[in-house]
Amino acid sequence: MYRGREGQWAYYLHRISGIALALYLMLHVFDISLVMWGPDGPFNDFLLFYHQWPFRVGLVLIIAGVVYHALNGLRIILLDFTPWAIRYQRALWYGVLGVTAVIGIPVLFKIIPEIVGGA
Amino acid sequence: MAAETPTVRARRPRTLSEARATYATNNELAWWVFMRISGFLLVFLVFAHVFTNNILINAGTIDYDYVAERFAQPAVRVMDSFLLGLALLHGTNGLRYVVDDYFRRPQVRFWVKAVLYTVVVAVFVLGLMALWTFTFTEMGDAIRNLGQ
Repeated sequence: MYRGREGQWAYYLHRISGIALALYLMLHVFDISLVMWGPDGPFNDFLLFYHQWPFRVGLVLIIAGVVYHALNGLRIILLDFTPWAIRYQRALWYGVLGVTAVIGIPVLFKIIPEIVGGA
Repeated sequence: MAAETPTVRARRPRTLSEARATYATNNELAWWVFMRISGFLLVFLVFAHVFTNNILINAGTIDYDYVAERFAQPAVRVMDSFLLGLALLHGTNGLRYVVDDYFRRPQVRFWVKAVLYTVVVAVFVLGLMALWTFTFTEMGDAIRNLGQ
C-alpha cells in the first residue's frame, strides 16, 4: 500500500500538507495575537504586509492543504476503523482528490479575483 | 555499542488492534487515538473557520477592527480556544512523528523537540491571551495594582 503507488502519494501529500499547516498555524496565531498591542500597535502593519499578493497566493495553497489533509484524514480514519475501507483505499484516495477539487475550484473562483483586483 | 543501536523502522499501525500491539506504552496508543478524534473534530472547526474568514468575507480586507469585533464575541472566544488547543496539539504531535522519522541522532532529536515544544507553548499562551484580551497593558496594570 505504501510502495510507490497511490498510498505512498497519499502519505507524502498528507505529511507535506501537515508540516505546512502546523508551521502556518504557529505563524498565524503569532500574528493575530498582535491585536493585544491595540489598534495603534503593530497589527495593521503586519496584516498589510500579509495582504500582498504572494502571501495571498500562499494562503490559497494553505486552504488547499487544509481541504486535502482533512479529507485524507477522514480516509485514514475509515481505513483504521472499518473492515471494508482498506480494500477501496485507492478509490478512496481518488475520491479525496476529487472532492478536494470540487471544494477547491469554487474557492479559487472566489479568491483569485480578490487577489487580481488588489483588494 | 550505544552508537550502533539499530533503529527500528516499523510501519505505522493501521488498525486499533495493531496499534495496541505496536505501542508498548499506553501513551503512544493514547496519541494514536487522539490524532483520530481531534482530526475528526478539526475537520468541522477548521472548515468553519476558513469559511467564515476567507469565503464569507474578502480575507484581504481583514484588519484590527475586524479581529477585535470577532474576539469581543464570547462564542468566538470559546470556539477559537478549542480550535487553538486541538490544532496545536494535533499539529505538534504530527511534527513529533516527523522529527522522530527524520532526526535519528538522539541529541539532535532532543534539541529539535525542545525548540518545537518551547515555541508551541509560547504560541499557545500568546493565542489564549489574545483571545481573552489580556493585553500587556492590562496585565502590567494588574501587576502594578497588586502592590497597592
